[in-house]
Amino acid sequence: MTVRLSRRRFLTTSARAVAGASALAAMPAPALAQKRELTFLSWNHFVPASDDELRKQAEAFSKQAGVSVRVDTIAHLQLDAKFAAEAQSQSGHDMIRTHGAVPFLFESQLAEVGDVVDKLGKQYGGWYPFAAESCQAKSGWRAVPWFWISFPATYNMAHFKKAGLEYPKTWAELVQHGRVLKKQGNPVGIAISHCGDAITTYWSIAWCYGAKVLETDGKTPGINSDKTAQVIEYYKELYKDAMDPEVLSWDDASNNRGILSGKYSWIHNPISPYNAALKEKMPIADDINHHPSPGGPAGIHSAPPLLGLGIWKFSKNVDVAKEFIQFLFRKENFDAWIVASNAFNHPPLRHLADHPIWARNPKFAMLPKEAEYAHPRGWPAKPNDAVGRLEANYTMIDMVAKAVNGMPTRRAMEWGQEQVALALKGQLKASG
Amino acid sequence: MAIGSRALATADLRGAGRLARAREWWEQEHVFGYGLILPAFVLLACLVAYPFGMAIYFSLSDYWVGSPGAFVGFANFRDIFGNEVFLQTVRNSFVFTAIALTCKAVLGVWLALLLVRNLRGKRLLRGAVLLPWVIPTALSTLGWQWMFDSLYSVVNWTAIHTGLISAPGPNWLGMSGYAMAAVITVNVWRGLPFFAITVLAGLVSIPREYYEAAEVDGASSFERFWHVTLPLLKPVLAVVLLFSTIFTFNDFNIVYVLTRGGPVNSTHLFATLAYQTGLAGGNLGQGAAISLFMLPMLGLVVFFQLRYIRRE
Repeated sequence: MTVRLSRRRFLTTSARAVAGASALAAMPAPALAQKRELTFLSWNHFVPASDDELRKQAEAFSKQAGVSVRVDTIAHLQLDAKFAAEAQSQSGHDMIRTHGAVPFLFESQLAEVGDVVDKLGKQYGGWYPFAAESCQAKSGWRAVPWFWISFPATYNMAHFKKAGLEYPKTWAELVQHGRVLKKQGNPVGIAISHCGDAITTYWSIAWCYGAKVLETDGKTPGINSDKTAQVIEYYKELYKDAMDPEVLSWDDASNNRGILSGKYSWIHNPISPYNAALKEKMPIADDINHHPSPGGPAGIHSAPPLLGLGIWKFSKNVDVAKEFIQFLFRKENFDAWIVASNAFNHPPLRHLADHPIWARNPKFAMLPKEAEYAHPRGWPAKPNDAVGRLEANYTMIDMVAKAVNGMPTRRAMEWGQEQVALALKGQLKASG
Repeated sequence: MAIGSRALATADLRGAGRLARAREWWEQEHVFGYGLILPAFVLLACLVAYPFGMAIYFSLSDYWVGSPGAFVGFANFRDIFGNEVFLQTVRNSFVFTAIALTCKAVLGVWLALLLVRNLRGKRLLRGAVLLPWVIPTALSTLGWQWMFDSLYSVVNWTAIHTGLISAPGPNWLGMSGYAMAAVITVNVWRGLPFFAITVLAGLVSIPREYYEAAEVDGASSFERFWHVTLPLLKPVLAVVLLFSTIFTFNDFNIVYVLTRGGPVNSTHLFATLAYQTGLAGGNLGQGAAISLFMLPMLGLVVFFQLRYIRRE
């Protein structure tokens, strides 16, 4: 009997709760939520002050345009999964911060932004070619190039001075210098591991030796060549003679720690270690300097990460988003944003790159020039989803790591070719 | 609202009769029982069955992120079998699971035997043992990442300074063997409390009389363990092993944070490779195929272990 009673009470209570909840749901949404909102999914910038400035500008724009702007930032490594989820569910943010092959991976999902690109290009003396190539798909512009991150060499001047050496102009010189420096207890370091820096450096070295991953058509594997063999041999020599085995386990922050600890004499990385040293007032900041990425037999080439601004097609705010992008590119806004990032954010437009922040500091002076010899990943092929896949799978890095760990160069390269073919197979299936 | 309906009920007697009939219908054993299960069932259907069904559908289709594909049968499975990285992942998963599970089982029983004793601060100790299981994995794994760091490894530093190894010590996350050892260590560290506490519950439920009888018969402590404790623990152990097998096979966090599958894919597990292929690489079909690959095998494990448990 008691059971029955409590059951009944339970039932009436839950019935009331359900009724209450449905009554709440049926109420009209509060007026606040009806104001238009532009949402932007970006990354946690490596220089947090840059995000603060971005949010400040978003605030200014929202006052001016009468649309509230929400900037959500998440760890850069989580962006891919988030993009996939938003494209899949056709909902989420209005704007995204693109990178790598994203404008090409989501070619059918991103809105055409050619009008904004043309306007800004005319206004500021044109886009650097690599920036344009990184965002222009076959069907049109799928993102507005936003900024790029210089990828120079960072070196410890004291270590080089002690060894009586100048900074290396070529990759070959780096091995020669590295031998001396390693004996001195100050190895050089480039990551050969599953991290973003490792990939950026690979492209640079490969291009400097005239090697490629895909043929120009973007559909034929092109990694199996004597040039790539040279690249692999180069890595082996550098690894054996000038580096420590720890580069095999590095993540994107390891080389920063390596040079800031005073152990490493040379790394290939954005300027973040120097900025960190300045910010933390570390004495080593005086010893750290930058020099242009080294060259090779095929000239000097670099693959600095380029980030863009894309707008989902499913967004109801495409036009507002375009306005917001142009607002961010107003000279006073963009300049303030460069300053906030302490020279980390490089403009993809020639005239915006004139900012005095680089010319003023001799350690930064050569940074903007990198845009002249930069290419999007996959070059000479256009960026495409297969390149994105190869990077996501760390294929080139694994090929090098296999060889460095003792696999014969040819075999490692054949493995690489096989993986490239597999990545392409997916692409052909997707577009066919 | 409730007041309103009550007022209505008193005003309209026929309505009240209908209400009573509805109540009667609802309070029948079979209706009420299913009614109670319904919310859980809906939750399971939405959050487990639906994604699972989608995963199966993805794995059989040429599905790319953002672009639906056609049905392709088992092409994805054929493709992943043709990929050396996948085959390596299969090997990794078995090595990882076998070693981690063995360590967890042996150490877990051992730890439980220690915890069951009447020590001072028993409760505190039992609580503390659970910590690795309670802390979010991604966080604790970041701690381990620091301990295995190539430059500042506290593990190496300690070992070097106590004279156990010579400098610079192993490159934990950079060499295949060491990296596997590292991810297994973290997995064991994390999974051990689950084992120990569950086995502890089993130990507590073993009646003391058996031990007293064994002691009277002159059994040594090992014999008591082997002939009394272990046989009586078997059902509990079987369940824990079953769960742990599934958890271990499907591990993601530890590998993703520590090595991202590296060096040279030597620590990739199904979940990390599936993530890399399906989400980072955009090939949802193949990603789903990779993550579903273990399903039949785990299904068999579950089937046999559950049958074994029921027979016990």
